[in-house]
Amino acid sequence: MAVLTVRDLSKTFNVGTPRASRVLDNISFEVQGQTFVSIVGPSGCGKSTLLNIISGVEEHTSGDISLKSDQGGDARMGYVFQDPRLLPWRSVMKNMMYVQDELNEETTARARRYLDMVGLAKNADFFPGQLSGGMQQRVGIARAFAVEPDLLLMDEPFSHLDAITARGLRAQLQDIWAQSKKTVVFVTHDVVEAVELSDRIIVLQPGGRIYEDITIDLPRPRRQSDPTVATLQAEVLARLEKMKAATQVAAPVA
Amino acid sequence: MSTVIENRRRSTTEIAESTPEWKRRLTSDTAARLTAGISFFLFWLVVAAVFTRVPGPVEVVQRLGDEFARGEVFGNFGVTLYRFGVGVALATVFGIVIGVMMGLSKLSRAFFESPVLVGLSIPAIIWSFLTVMWFGFGDTSPIVTTFLTAVPFVIINVAQGVRGVSRDLRDMSSTYQVPLLRRMRDLVLPAVTGYVAAGIRFAVIIGWNGVLLAEWFGGSGGVGYRARFWYDANRYGGFAAWVVLFVGFIVILDRLVLDRAISRAFRWRDNSA
Repeated sequence: MAVLTVRDLSKTFNVGTPRASRVLDNISFEVQGQTFVSIVGPSGCGKSTLLNIISGVEEHTSGDISLKSDQGGDARMGYVFQDPRLLPWRSVMKNMMYVQDELNEETTARARRYLDMVGLAKNADFFPGQLSGGMQQRVGIARAFAVEPDLLLMDEPFSHLDAITARGLRAQLQDIWAQSKKTVVFVTHDVVEAVELSDRIIVLQPGGRIYEDITIDLPRPRRQSDPTVATLQAEVLARLEKMKAATQVAAPVA
Repeated sequence: MSTVIENRRRSTTEIAESTPEWKRRLTSDTAARLTAGISFFLFWLVVAAVFTRVPGPVEVVQRLGDEFARGEVFGNFGVTLYRFGVGVALATVFGIVIGVMMGLSKLSRAFFESPVLVGLSIPAIIWSFLTVMWFGFGDTSPIVTTFLTAVPFVIINVAQGVRGVSRDLRDMSSTYQVPLLRRMRDLVLPAVTGYVAAGIRFAVIIGWNGVLLAEWFGGSGGVGYRARFWYDANRYGGFAAWVVLFVGFIVILDRLVLDRAISRAFRWRDNSA
């Protein structure tokens, strides 16, 4: 079942003014349940805007978006942002509970379980300011999974972290995802990261159109050291470079 | 031959260890506060010695002792505290509610902006005249004066705080569809704690001013009433004794209660990695 359906979606900022700029142009795609889909593309191609529109933070200019829940009722969303976005005056556990639908024993146990999965059960009573950037981002990931979302959105969640921390978190994310099998839409500009994590990669080109939709059919868990992963990463990277060259040729000279 | 200049920067530990104890004590915050207090006291002694109509510290303490002996202090202070407490509490509640509304909604801002501005521009003395005319002598006029002088400061501070709540955290809350009441309790109110605290601090100081003025002009009992009693009797020692009492009270309230409450509200800031 398609959890997310996007049809002819367009977004123009400053509509009706001389500064009007179209960032997404007639985008259509579906995301099936229990799949991990990455959206990659160069800076400014509309990746984060697309995620913000899906989450409802941003409004779209035209087109349709529909979300389905297999649990009945409104579809529930989780969001892992580029920065952790934790309430600095609340403890880690209270941050986990802040986004829960209901505050009861079940949701508390679930929040504790996901905190444990990211290795922060012992830090439940800490304030975010007492944690490192990587630990805060792990809380952000645990928080998003703990709401049991129908759709989990992740916007370059490792881009602000150092390489070693990011690699550790990617591995942890793969483990959690393997256990929870949530439907994920993951935005990144890092092709290596996208190949390691995804079942499918949607490539956006400058101007906000879909350039290519690539299926990644590799066994999990994937590690960068695996030659098949490395080969596919090189192949996807080559396709992106080809796209970049093509769009640069097509772009008018300013 | 070239000259090599070495610029070595010392660590804070090294600086602390090389500074003599007497120098550290003399340059501490406590020393600065003590110096200010002693300077003020000496200034008072000099002014009292030069001008006969300014009572000196000894006379003021004597008059204060007399007031205690007459049993005037606790009763009058109790009356004033009751009026002041009710006025400030009302100003805090109304100030937070209206301030949050102004911070969240453009419409509320448009509605309340002008009345709040008018409220800010009217001094406590005018409110005290007006309330005495409206409500006569008794508890109502000091309570209303305290409320009216204090509430605009709470509103302005809270509204500014609410407007400054992080956009990122608001977006996060919208994405997770956090219920409004929980959003108010866990996001908006803690985010504006500093502004609320600053507003209440202003409210307390301005409100104290208001209650004393209202009692001065239309009180039946209270600190302001008693100060005026001695003023009308041309007994400046008694008048100054009450001034010392109410200034002392507001300083103690600020240092011991408000300052500590603010530190407690911001303890999460002191727990940084």
